[in-house]
Amino acid sequence: MSEIAHQDHTEKKAFLVNSSSLKDVRSFCRDVFEKLQIQQDLKDELVLAIAEAAQNIVKHAFKNAAKPNELMVVQISCENNKLQIAFYDRGTPVDPKKVKHREIDNVKPGGLGTFFIQEIMDVVEFKDGKKPWINHLVLTKQL
Amino acid sequence: MSYKVTEEGNIATIHLDGEIDMDVTEKAKEVIFPHIDAGKEVHLNLSNVQYMDSSGISVLIESHQKGLEKNTKVIIKDVSKSVLKVIMMAKLEQILNLE
Repeated sequence: MSEIAHQDHTEKKAFLVNSSSLKDVRSFCRDVFEKLQIQQDLKDELVLAIAEAAQNIVKHAFKNAAKPNELMVVQISCENNKLQIAFYDRGTPVDPKKVKHREIDNVKPGGLGTFFIQEIMDVVEFKDGKKPWINHLVLTKQL
Repeated sequence: MSYKVTEEGNIATIHLDGEIDMDVTEKAKEVIFPHIDAGKEVHLNLSNVQYMDSSGISVLIESHQKGLEKNTKVIIKDVSKSVLKVIMMAKLEQILNLE
């Protein structure tokens, strides 16, 4: 747990649902975490977890075939040293029971993104998507 | 992502540069796999890769497995601290050839 009292802060940004947006998602996160004065190692981990969740939206919720103007929204909030990252998208509804990573000892390509998210974050939770959104994922980490 | 390839004898050294994510994995495979398929020993230098996600890790696993199939080696060299952390999170530091 961090000894720094991070300021309360919220920012959100919309991104096109495609793989070339992932670098923009990372850049947005790095900027916000800079403002929150999160230390480098933790910042790297959080950026990875967020980028993996965004990648899952592109790859799984939209199966790499989103319409050209389709958007996903990433919102980063810090309140009382609790960091919450919310994702909103209008892809195929996600069944949380089916979101699993591969067995880590069964070495093969793929299936690691969800593992990284779960390793890095304290809580990974799918909430009911409110219109116009379908999926609403919330990642939480106590700083 | 940019790259540079140098060849000396049976060794192909591939320097990758930039961030390796889902958007560039196909390009990374196109650069790496032909050398493995040709039976070369591949030295993958990652000193200038500061970010790698699960898609990039998958390319490392595929390259390693392809190397085993082709009876050659893929050696990952000069891994940056941030990428090593991701490799270790995936518990691959004992599986991949790291130097």
